[in-house]
Amino acid sequence: MKKTPSTAFRRVLSIVGVLIVAFVPLQFASPVVVNPPLTKEISAPEEVTRILKQSCYDCHSNASNPRWYGRIAPVSFLVAHNISEGRARLNFSEWDKNPPVVQELLLWEIVNAIEQGKMPLNSYCMLHSGSRVSASDLAILKKYVNTLPGRHKVDTARIIRPATLASRPANEKLSRIPVSINGVPYYPDYKNWKIISITDKYDGGSMRVVYANDIMYNAIKSKKMPFPDGSKMVKAVWGKQQQDSDGIVRPGNFQNVQIMVKDSRKYAATEGWGFAKFDGLGLKPYGKTAIFDRTCINCHRLLAPGSDFVFNVPTK
Amino acid sequence: MLKIISYTLSAALLLGSCRQKKNAELAPEYLYEVKDQKPICSLIDNKKGNILMLYGNNVALQAANDSLVKQVPGAHYTLVTWKQKQMPGWYGTNMNGGIYSVETLQVSQVGTQPFRADYGFKPGEVYSSLNTKFDRDQRIRFIIEQRAAILP
Repeated sequence: MKKTPSTAFRRVLSIVGVLIVAFVPLQFASPVVVNPPLTKEISAPEEVTRILKQSCYDCHSNASNPRWYGRIAPVSFLVAHNISEGRARLNFSEWDKNPPVVQELLLWEIVNAIEQGKMPLNSYCMLHSGSRVSASDLAILKKYVNTLPGRHKVDTARIIRPATLASRPANEKLSRIPVSINGVPYYPDYKNWKIISITDKYDGGSMRVVYANDIMYNAIKSKKMPFPDGSKMVKAVWGKQQQDSDGIVRPGNFQNVQIMVKDSRKYAATEGWGFAKFDGLGLKPYGKTAIFDRTCINCHRLLAPGSDFVFNVPTK
Repeated sequence: MLKIISYTLSAALLLGSCRQKKNAELAPEYLYEVKDQKPICSLIDNKKGNILMLYGNNVALQAANDSLVKQVPGAHYTLVTWKQKQMPGWYGTNMNGGIYSVETLQVSQVGTQPFRADYGFKPGEVYSSLNTKFDRDQRIRFIIEQRAAILP
């Protein structure tokens, strides 16, 4: 039977009515974005802060300024969520809450997130013309991070060998295996594993050698990704000595070992990877709470999703 | 409630943006397996834009751990050199790319000048002989002079 115009009109009216009934009460539940007082804002050259304010501050500072449509539900829910997540991740208005080393790491991460087109979020750029970072502005940010202290850090200290450590017994052998607070243990046999990469982490003045166990090494050899459960990798980290006249840089003092182990069930919250870090020759487990690994996975999730959330694997 | 609405909207916007996750391609050709030798140290060559890994047998490793001893008969070394490339996903780190060369050294007798050693050089896929001055004795000295990196 053919619908009469009056029937169709009544249907449209009822849909609009339902929407209004749902829309109006939603406004009462709409979140309000509050800007807490700033503690200490990031200090950087004006040309750098201009870019950060233009493209990052709406979500990553206490100076959020949602547009009118961002204050109306349901969009306001998304805006509030993005601001909450953004501030938790990094907040330019509370920059002093991060130790200097972390501040530098965050700035390099910002450059990488922008370079890979991960930030600002596409959804944000669609509604905020001019927020996307141009190639010339990215070049300004790159130039800036290359002036940071970590970029030129040289390990000039006398190299300490395990036998000279007063705190360790003379017949030093690991009497017990250190275990990270999240349960990931140190794997002393990694020295017998195969090497998958050698790196110069010039953003922080360290050089690294990355080992993989047979499961992970064979997966790389057969180009198998995601990596299977049981995959393990260990990254040994040293400072960098002063470059010699031939341009050669040698490893300085040992700094730490960093571990990733794959168990897709056990570490489901961190994309299947368990993280650990053991500092110094004493291999002191890093992290004050078991969720320290959220900091690790945040960066891996953002910047290395295409390589099963792992940096340092040989890829084209 | 807030979370449900936020996640629903986020998912809708993500789907709407039609961006696909781009998978990286593993490059096993950058791997080089050295059998029966252990890592001694890695090295960065900023002038040539290379990155290196020196391996040795137990005799070589022991010598490299001693700050005084350099030449030991029976020491076997392998020095693998790669071209550096930017680490995919992280501007701020360079890593090994294509293999540039593989050098091997077997010290057979010391105490004579020059001491006796078998030295071998194998160019890798990305080796370039242009502007490369090659001095065999200098390369042997370079290999045996490296000290072992410290590990706990």
